[in-house]
Amino acid sequence: MAKYQDAIKQPGNLSPRVKWLRDYYFEGVDRPWNNEYSAYTTGTPWDTQFDEITYYIVPETYPFIPTFLASLKQISKEIPVDDDFWKMSIPERKAFFTKKAAVEYLPMEVLPGDLLCGARFNMMYSMCLNKKEQAARDKLIKDARKSMLALHNHGYGNSGATSGHLVPDYAKIIRHGFKAEYEKIKSLYEALSEKDKNGRKGNNLRAMMTACKMPKELAEKYSKFCISLAEKEKDPERKQELLVMAQNMAKVPWNPAENFYEGVQSLWLTHMLVMSDEKYPGPGVSFGRVDQYLYPLYEKSIKEGMSKDFMKEILGCFWVHANTAYDAQIRVGGNQGITAGFGQLLTLSGMGKDGKDMTNDLTYLILDVIDDMSPILEPKPNVRLHNNSPEALMDKIVDMVCRSQGAPFLLNFDERSMAGMLRESKKANIPNLINEENVCEYAPVGCLENTMVGNDRSGTVDSNVNLLKAMELVYGNGRDMLPYLDPMSGKWTPLTQDGPKTGNLKELDTFEKFYKAYEEQTKYVLRRMVENYEKSENIRYNFNPTPYLSVLVNGCAEKGLDVTQGGAEISFVTMEAVTYATTVDSLLAVKYLVYDKKECTLEELVKALKSNWKGYEVLQNKALYKAPKYGRDDDEADALAKKVMDCWSEETWKFRTKCTGRQFRPGMLSWNYWIGNGFILKASANGRNEAQFLSNAICPSNGADINGPTANSNSVGIALGGNGENGDYQDYFNCLPNGASHTITFNTSLLRDAEHKEKFKSFLKGYTKNGGTALQINILDAEVLKDAQKHPKDYRHLLVRITGYNAYFVSVGKELQDEIIARESHKTY
Amino acid sequence: MKILNIQRMSTEDGPGIRTTLFVKGCPLSCKWCHNPESISPSSHTEWISVRCMGCNTCIQVCPKQALSSTENGIEIDQERCIACGKCAEECPTGAIEVKGINRSIDSLYKELIKDKSYWGKDGGVTLSGGEITMQSADSLLLAKKLHENNIRVAIDTCGFCKWETLKKLVDYTDIFLYDLKIFDPKKHLEFTGQDNSVIFENFELLAKECKEKKKTLWVRTPIIPRATDSDENISSLAKIIGDKADLWELCAFNNLCKDKYDRLKKDWDYCSSPLMEAARMKELVKIAIDNGGKNVIWSGMTKREE
Repeated sequence: MAKYQDAIKQPGNLSPRVKWLRDYYFEGVDRPWNNEYSAYTTGTPWDTQFDEITYYIVPETYPFIPTFLASLKQISKEIPVDDDFWKMSIPERKAFFTKKAAVEYLPMEVLPGDLLCGARFNMMYSMCLNKKEQAARDKLIKDARKSMLALHNHGYGNSGATSGHLVPDYAKIIRHGFKAEYEKIKSLYEALSEKDKNGRKGNNLRAMMTACKMPKELAEKYSKFCISLAEKEKDPERKQELLVMAQNMAKVPWNPAENFYEGVQSLWLTHMLVMSDEKYPGPGVSFGRVDQYLYPLYEKSIKEGMSKDFMKEILGCFWVHANTAYDAQIRVGGNQGITAGFGQLLTLSGMGKDGKDMTNDLTYLILDVIDDMSPILEPKPNVRLHNNSPEALMDKIVDMVCRSQGAPFLLNFDERSMAGMLRESKKANIPNLINEENVCEYAPVGCLENTMVGNDRSGTVDSNVNLLKAMELVYGNGRDMLPYLDPMSGKWTPLTQDGPKTGNLKELDTFEKFYKAYEEQTKYVLRRMVENYEKSENIRYNFNPTPYLSVLVNGCAEKGLDVTQGGAEISFVTMEAVTYATTVDSLLAVKYLVYDKKECTLEELVKALKSNWKGYEVLQNKALYKAPKYGRDDDEADALAKKVMDCWSEETWKFRTKCTGRQFRPGMLSWNYWIGNGFILKASANGRNEAQFLSNAICPSNGADINGPTANSNSVGIALGGNGENGDYQDYFNCLPNGASHTITFNTSLLRDAEHKEKFKSFLKGYTKNGGTALQINILDAEVLKDAQKHPKDYRHLLVRITGYNAYFVSVGKELQDEIIARESHKTY
Repeated sequence: MKILNIQRMSTEDGPGIRTTLFVKGCPLSCKWCHNPESISPSSHTEWISVRCMGCNTCIQVCPKQALSSTENGIEIDQERCIACGKCAEECPTGAIEVKGINRSIDSLYKELIKDKSYWGKDGGVTLSGGEITMQSADSLLLAKKLHENNIRVAIDTCGFCKWETLKKLVDYTDIFLYDLKIFDPKKHLEFTGQDNSVIFENFELLAKECKEKKKTLWVRTPIIPRATDSDENISSLAKIIGDKADLWELCAFNNLCKDKYDRLKKDWDYCSSPLMEAARMKELVKIAIDNGGKNVIWSGMTKREE
């Protein structure tokens, strides 16, 4: 029997309706219906559905790409199209086809007691390309795939044009309805010259107009469906509910929502169709500041007498719907396809103009819903804290943190985050789009990536670089340090002069020279990433428009450009650096071992790395335990960390995509790459063996933070730029507009009573001043985790945070489980 | 100043989040001591078995041939060892540590204030033991420097020192964490190696001084099986403490320091003593209150209740 099962968070006060829906959801494949992919084809022999470039950032899927392509094609249902279809432009075809599939073909369901319409949305629809276009795309794909595999296999990282990862302007739909957007786009279209009407602008705008009708027609169909269900319904109360749902669907999202219920319904239907349009479930398509834009409707409905309990029920239904995104892969793996977070992020609280706190009654209502529904993965809440966050909110948050294993939300820190966004504004010279006045409106997407709202697509997961690769290229004077294995063919790739020649090892006789070589190789590694990215960006630019999403992203209609063509007002690609601490610590170790203490020559050190430290155990231990490390609030080590940060982040700003003109911006997310890439990258100078995990995002290397969470947090803040005069925002500096993932694990004892909860609040307030942009808190007891390893069935809902996302502990691999257990748990006595 | 280490984000050394300085040397030698490495005022060298990779570098570099390899691992002859730190410096894994390092007040100050942002309205720096008052001149300098920079200072003391030392510290201290352990003088001598009359005299004087100067005074009593945990001891202490303390904390014994005694090659009378029971801690709080104690609480780990 599991010893500590009682210690695991259980769902709270759910109404019978919501409890039933939540339980039903967790029945997984046993459910009579689910939201598994439906695939549709135009019926041409060359047609494909699966858009592999959106998975180029998921190396685990590489071996399965041909299988996905073939199997989805095989199960595709034909939707007949006529000759006129093929006369249209690609975006128009896509808008037409998606609408037809979503409205006429996707099955409809309303579950018992459910208060929201909009059940099935996971779609894999046709590329809608003619033979010539498809052939051109296939050719580009072949090249892009080859480039992507080489990049990954040689340890550079991965990049690819990926879906989602933005906050669509849901607020405008709730407020004004798609009708207003349709009218706006129509007038923009009518104002075009004849030439433009027949060109790209015209094509895109016509496609967007068609896309505006998709939610309208689907909602009308749901409305009729609800009426037919009501006619059959025997329970008068439920009958009445179904009739209200029918009314809602007859109204929103085409028309403005006029109460809280309509607002949430409008939001859900609008949101779910983004996932249909992009053929990707929950890819960081985020809700933004729901407690702000839903607040006027909340206030109105409270006045009109809607009960808070009913609002909670509506939101409970919303939560269940959001989780059905996972149904896409419901038959994959052991946990009903619920593998990790997809990242439909919602943001609560935070600063308004002039530093005013924006927490309101709806913030607390939603926090209650989170508390009642958790553990559950979606939507992912993110609470924004700042120096003026109210005590009541802090109390609520700390209370929720201590009752969950991993905090049921991520904390975002406004001052540091806003400093990063303002830095971005300066770097890209867009003060009209991001400035002191509106920067407070920012919201994170996906896991924790900060963007502006409704007009910003910054490709926050599109490019993930291993900084450590630059070290390997220094050791090899521009070649790989050791040959790499191609896992598909099983062949070792020959060493070639890939990077610049930065000097043979003998020539690097001072640390300054070594560091300069590292900088040169870093520039090369970043350039490789950008060149690889261009290939998939170009494919998406030419062949994969998403007109429906473009309606929801401001700038697209105005420019007559699809969002995939750089239509958003703010359009960056984010370079997410992985292996930061491993790289910094390796540089520190090289400096310490070779140049300062002269424990060995650089040649000897590289020999040791090539042999994976075998036969060099004394040296390895010195690297591990004697060399300085980042994450200890050690001024000297952190100064080098800052230098490394400045080097790669400054270089990143210099790049731009060719086809779409999107500038690159820096961030640190590192998702799960720090695990997988550890098996690719060779042994590193910080004492790490090959196949051991790398460092995670901006976190210090595992076990390196021996001075505790405050020192760890100080180092993180310093690496981002720290505080001082003439900061980017107030006295805050931040060179990473995207923000950086930071996880700290605390022992349960730290929050054991009211007094200690106060102390933890004090820590969070200190973090607001000194720390990073976002913090994930794990409250774990190693004993509980060990028991969960032994009795996985009894701990199915034990939720932990890994890096920027939640995962069920028992669903992650043994190595990672061990890792989480081994991670330093900060005990205080 | 000869220090042991600095503990950051300490939640157990006074109000709020604190940075605690542990120093070397204590006039008492309590049988239950949880930091036995802090008792001796002179530096010494320790070998930490779990970190050792068995390379014997330490043996080779020792200028005094104080180290040897035995079937129990590395043995350090403390008579020969001069704590020069050579072995610790050369040890690749950090398995050898010198306990007791001299640091300047300025360098300590710089490190102690690094967590200022996290302290909030209650936290600050705690100067703790061994026994902070043993290094009276340095502790006064440090407390003064902290105080002058508006940092809240806590002094964690066993009270066994000259009254003058404590008196001087009062001006620069916001809160005293004062240990009162055993009422019975004979028993006190037996368990701590020192007479308790100075401690109780200083307590009376300090309580008066704190009241006058509006400083906070917390009393802490470790609840140790067979030594301090009797009804009589707590009731007697209660009568002395009365309402003089702003808080009286009964700290339950724990056995987390077993390894420390092993490293020092010392036997520990308490190595097989079980944790206290929560019920007994509550009982003692009641006894304390019944006998005049005010604001009495208990803390620490107790036996897991099945």
